[in-house]
Amino acid sequence: MDPREFDVIILGGGIVGAGTLRDCAMRGLRALLIERADIATGASGRNHGLLHSGARYAVNDPESAAECIVENRILRRIASHCIDQTDGLFISLPEDDMDYQRTFVDACLKAGIGAEIIDPALARQLEPSVNPELIGAVRVPDASVDPFRLCASNMVDAKLHGAQVRLRTEVTGFIREGDTVRGVHTRSAQTGRTADYYAPVVVNACGVWGQQVAEMAGVTVGMFPSKGALLIFAHRINNMVINRCRKPSNADILVPGDTVCIIGTTSTRIPLENCHRVSVTPDEVTLLVTEGAKLTPSLSETRILRAFAGVRPLVSDDSDPSGRNISRGIVCLDHESRDGLKGFVTITGGKLTTYRLMAEMATDLVCRKLGIDKACETATTPLPGSQGRSYEEVAREIWEAPSTAQKAAAARLGDVVTRMPNPSRQDEALVCECEEVSAWEVNNAFERMGVSTLTDLRRRTRVGMGTCQGELCACRAAGLLAKAQDCAERERADLLKFMGERWKGSYPIGWGDTLREAEYTQWVYKHVLGL
Amino acid sequence: MRFDTVIIGGGLAGLVAGISLQQAGHRTAIVSTGQNALHFFSGSFESMEEAPERLKTLFAGAGIRLHYSAGVRLMPLGVFREAALSLEDVSFLPDPCFADKVLILGIPGYLDFFPSFLAEGLEKQGIVCRTSMLNLPESVRESPAEIRSVTLARMFDRNWERVVQQVRLLLKDEDGVVLPQVFGLEDPSVPERIRQGIPARVVFAGTMPPSVPGIRTQLLLKRRYEVLGGTYLGGDEALEARVEGDSVRSVTTRNLDRHALEADNFILASGGFFSKGLRSNPFRVWEPVFGLDVAYDEDRNAWYNDNFAEEQPYMNYGVRTDEALHPLVEGRPLQNLYAIGSVLGATRPEFGSGGGLAIRTAFSAVDQILEAV
Repeated sequence: MDPREFDVIILGGGIVGAGTLRDCAMRGLRALLIERADIATGASGRNHGLLHSGARYAVNDPESAAECIVENRILRRIASHCIDQTDGLFISLPEDDMDYQRTFVDACLKAGIGAEIIDPALARQLEPSVNPELIGAVRVPDASVDPFRLCASNMVDAKLHGAQVRLRTEVTGFIREGDTVRGVHTRSAQTGRTADYYAPVVVNACGVWGQQVAEMAGVTVGMFPSKGALLIFAHRINNMVINRCRKPSNADILVPGDTVCIIGTTSTRIPLENCHRVSVTPDEVTLLVTEGAKLTPSLSETRILRAFAGVRPLVSDDSDPSGRNISRGIVCLDHESRDGLKGFVTITGGKLTTYRLMAEMATDLVCRKLGIDKACETATTPLPGSQGRSYEEVAREIWEAPSTAQKAAAARLGDVVTRMPNPSRQDEALVCECEEVSAWEVNNAFERMGVSTLTDLRRRTRVGMGTCQGELCACRAAGLLAKAQDCAERERADLLKFMGERWKGSYPIGWGDTLREAEYTQWVYKHVLGL
Repeated sequence: MRFDTVIIGGGLAGLVAGISLQQAGHRTAIVSTGQNALHFFSGSFESMEEAPERLKTLFAGAGIRLHYSAGVRLMPLGVFREAALSLEDVSFLPDPCFADKVLILGIPGYLDFFPSFLAEGLEKQGIVCRTSMLNLPESVRESPAEIRSVTLARMFDRNWERVVQQVRLLLKDEDGVVLPQVFGLEDPSVPERIRQGIPARVVFAGTMPPSVPGIRTQLLLKRRYEVLGGTYLGGDEALEARVEGDSVRSVTTRNLDRHALEADNFILASGGFFSKGLRSNPFRVWEPVFGLDVAYDEDRNAWYNDNFAEEQPYMNYGVRTDEALHPLVEGRPLQNLYAIGSVLGATRPEFGSGGGLAIRTAFSAVDQILEAV
């Protein structure tokens, strides 16, 4: 068998690509995923980390709401190690319309979402950080999800099922024979080496960049990039997701995630060519803080860690190229029936919460094209790491009395941890104190998870995501990567790039303690370390 | 409580001023929050063009030997930087090729020291490098998560002979040894003893903060200040000043509550943003104790350069002063107050930056106070 030939090639290493790769591999297809940069670099890694209950969409988009709640329940089972089952509140403030609460709850119940009106006093008891002036509260099954972990787990499991992944590999063109796509030309971003890969079906799962990829294949998919700005706070203020019970608006969701919490978002249409470089403006910061403080007053007193923005891959309607009628649902396009181009499929739109369903739809279509009749099993087969045990049980399987760092590792990696070589004492040295990441976890990510830069490492281990934003841990991790890759010179450049990327998220909120920390970081890196 | 001079800030600038004034027979007090830039001191001054004999004498009095000569030092990430005036155990070298073959010794589980980077930097100079590990006592290895520079330095203060023995065993044909700068926290003689015990040229290379030579320097300077009769109010913070006309009358602190510190002269050595000598919110930058005029950009977008590697405008912000380092309030100088060190930012470039700025402005303020008497 020619190693360049596959049954299916998936383009894009976001959550949808990763999920599709896993589904295809589980159905026995020889699958290859090609990603230009690293896993979860687009919208998959630039969001709230909210596992929607669907409640937010219940009133305006009941179909999406119903999809969300079904997927929400599935992911709690199959991806338990990526999900923090926090539940959520939809709160009404004195200026909000209480009639909307009734409409909201009815719509939720109709969509199958267990929404329960609770006494504001009980809401304050459940979530002490909530605005005490609330006049109404609805409890819903929202949750918090780590999108990086979810994406990595899908990739890992796909690989366990025989799939292949090429990261840092760019598609430079399609191999076409008449009206049929036969494969893709690629170039490695690291080595510059070119390679061709062949498959009877190619899946475009490139999110907002899917428009350019489709163009390259010779068909049109109109994306409507919508920028959302978010802020990360230095503490986990809330334990439940807090939403505002009103029509979806700016800055009305606060999601707890690991040691931090995230407020968002805004919604601004931006040109496609700007999607690579989105930044947060001072006005957006002000808006997010002001509106966020209405959910949780202590937000205005809490240090902001970072500002970031993502781009939603919204799709314009086929019949409406002007984009006035944008769909927020899942879009799965068979370009053979739509455009007469055989062997090419686009899966886009949708949400992080519905990635598995999107992957199932794309894989169903691929299988139909290949004449394969095999049912999807991703809804019932847990991801590696989520075999139904708590992280404490997992940690205890390796360590007699696990430390917090060991428990953190078990929580991040799930039960995969038990299959890794046992760490030596020395390996347990802490790299990242904020997120409690040990040298062992860093080395594991390097050896088994396709890490070649500090940014890759951050996406897989949370190194540099905590309070210090990489000030201390980046350097320690760079020391380990320099040793593992035996190239100190490249790693020094990587370290500078990583700190530059962290700074891009810090300076929009550079005042108070953030500015203090920034001054310290500048001093340490320039004058003490000599970067 | 009444003093001749009250100094706000116990970093390099404040301690140099305090020691100098005590030596001249003045009664002074230093108000210090505790942590300051000395804890992250790289161990050498980059902008000391001339040999400041006065500083050397002052440091020598505190038991700190400074090494002065033009040369380079090996930075923790394996690059060389020019250096003029350095602490004795800092990796100061007359020239980068200090040996033909070098043994770089790391410490198991200690991630704040970077043998790979150092080896690459030295190999670029044509030096043959070998890396190995020192063996730690079992008790330290029990908790690898806590292996940081200060923990190690505390242990090596008592066990430095074992380090010498181990290095001698590990040494093959190398004529140079690179060790992390984790020696001599309480006992300043340890680095020199290690150097003498090893039959090769020993270089101590920097680590991630906290800096052991920096903390030692701070401890020795503080001890010297107290031996000279200075009143060091550690863990305290200056809150508010009482100003009458163009003079400061007193300063209140958090711990002393209602008992304000009165003095003829005041020195503000409270540092930049990190040390809280300057504070900021989304709209402005201010000096919190005296409400001094601060030079900064009103448009917050101008505070930063979006490139991390470039100079950051906010780091230049500082209090405005007249020729004599008297800070201004609404354009008018406070005649018995002097601003020294990083709180000046880059408003007085003629005094240099960093450690050089701290020392030069400290001496300038001291001289003016002594002349006026």
